[in-house]
Amino acid sequence: MDAPVQTDPAEQFGAVVARRLGPGFWIAASWIILIVAAAALAPWLPIADPNETGVGGRMDGPGWSNWFGTDNNGRDMFARTIWGARVSLIVGFFSVLLGICIGGTLGMIAGYFRGFVDRVISFSVFVLLAYPGLVLALLIVGLAGQTLPIVAMTLGILAIAPIARLSRATTLAYSEREFVAAARVLGATDRRIMIRELLPNVLIPMGALTLLGMAITIVAEGGLAFLGLSVEEGFSWGKMIVLGSSPRTLREGPWVAMFPIGAMFLTVLALNFAGDRLREYFDVRELGIGAG
Amino acid sequence: MIVLARRLAQLVAVVLAVTFLAFTAMNTLGDPLFNVVGFVAAVDCDAVEAGEIEDISSQGGTSIGDCVVVAEAREEFHLNESLPIRYGRWVGDLVRGDFGTSFKNRMPVSTVLADRLPKSLLLMGMAEVFAVAVSIPWAVAATYRANRAMDRASTVGAFGMLALPNFALGVILFYFFVVRWQVFPSRFEDDNLAVRLKSLVLPALTLGMPLAATYFRLLRTDLITTLQEDFVVMAKAKGLSSRWIMFRHALRPSLFSLVTVFGLNTAALIGGALIVEQIFSIPGLGRALVEASIRDDYPVVLGATVVIATGFVAINFAVDLLYSYLDPRVRRES
Repeated sequence: MDAPVQTDPAEQFGAVVARRLGPGFWIAASWIILIVAAAALAPWLPIADPNETGVGGRMDGPGWSNWFGTDNNGRDMFARTIWGARVSLIVGFFSVLLGICIGGTLGMIAGYFRGFVDRVISFSVFVLLAYPGLVLALLIVGLAGQTLPIVAMTLGILAIAPIARLSRATTLAYSEREFVAAARVLGATDRRIMIRELLPNVLIPMGALTLLGMAITIVAEGGLAFLGLSVEEGFSWGKMIVLGSSPRTLREGPWVAMFPIGAMFLTVLALNFAGDRLREYFDVRELGIGAG
Repeated sequence: MIVLARRLAQLVAVVLAVTFLAFTAMNTLGDPLFNVVGFVAAVDCDAVEAGEIEDISSQGGTSIGDCVVVAEAREEFHLNESLPIRYGRWVGDLVRGDFGTSFKNRMPVSTVLADRLPKSLLLMGMAEVFAVAVSIPWAVAATYRANRAMDRASTVGAFGMLALPNFALGVILFYFFVVRWQVFPSRFEDDNLAVRLKSLVLPALTLGMPLAATYFRLLRTDLITTLQEDFVVMAKAKGLSSRWIMFRHALRPSLFSLVTVFGLNTAALIGGALIVEQIFSIPGLGRALVEASIRDDYPVVLGATVVIATGFVAINFAVDLLYSYLDPRVRRES
């Protein structure tokens, strides 16, 4: 959604970008895999019940029995951090998936058919982008309710516009290429050209942006939590940070907020880094993106 | 002139679409009547009037009186009309400066907005000033010795900064400066300008630091590219000092890109302000919006949304104009 506009660090003049992912990518990827695995396997891991109170004392500092300490109800923060990853990752993954399905399709339709369809879609995208993302999310979640599917769907809606823009620009660039013209001369239908010729080429930049998009949506979910609008049942990293950030909790046990912050920071860092690397690897440029 | 008129028309179209979207969302996702009168909205008034449902107001239930309230609200907010007509009326009122009345405390929404908006603007202004003041010297210093230790450390630092969500940064700053060292007040204090500025320092830092990192990254890549251009080589050949070249020749074109990013980043800044106002309890526009949305105070939510979205669109419009004014190449193309 509101991604700060970044420039590609690989575009330094004269720098030769080797087509290697590099060790940093693999470190980042390992962290992501570790977190995903821990979140997926949470019910079977030998950790405390995240909702059971009195596992340790109230506000016990980090130590051997409770690695990340306990919160003011004596719940084990290590177990909670792992369980919190579940909601954060589910929201991050499914919202980006939704954004790619809808935004990617719309962008391809606009870029391929152009003309009137393109104008309507481009204007809608422009209108969606005219909202600061969090304001739109606030409106939708506030009105529709705070369940996991709605939160994921809302953030997915926010992802539609930027993804549609990228997909449109990519489609525009590829529609001019010879292989598309060749397919058309051979009598391929529009549908066939879009699915067989264009889609594989559009999917590559999308795939590279999935990781970056997940980072953005995970943070956005945390932002919603601070507005009191994240999932009502269960908890995410964002919600844990909110719970830990009241002045009293911060004074008595800063670790309650700091461990989820650390987990979120490392995950976002890894997603950003791996995403950037993938983008460089597949040589995805912002292809002359703009309205009109 | 024609270009300007077309741009203006586009601006108006976008603002209309944006407000229509917000209005429709408010009216279809929730029961608008519920948003206006509360739980009474669910009463089946036809049945009450027909006597099919007993008047149980004495037990805190429904009453004929509630139905009068509902009917009045329907009338007042024109809920009997169709959606496009209601939207038309609402926009008509809006243009005349009538944002409606808050459902909660019956204050005009325009008063609420006028009270809250300046605080948010001050906060965002401070963040921008901080970001610009830090990022320009930082980027210049880094590019003087590109790819040396200081440059590399800055690049890594900026990358890390951008991975730290603003609320996390806010909580960390709050923990150290408010809870542990007690340098800054924990709530917004409004006695005089100095106090107000002091209580906005931490929130502005929270917003400004990631912004500075964004600007730094942009300026750095931009400066490095510019320094390879022919006119810089020419300036070097003339024997100009590297300081002169950096500030008079290289920095100026790079600042153009900063202007565009400034517009696009405003969305992130507004979203950030929304959150930061919660963390540091600043009674700004964002907090008003969040409070109103929790209480289903529908006129305030709409008013705040309209102000925010319109402001954002207008800023980008202004940036576009400014950009074509600053850079002759763009002016000629359009």
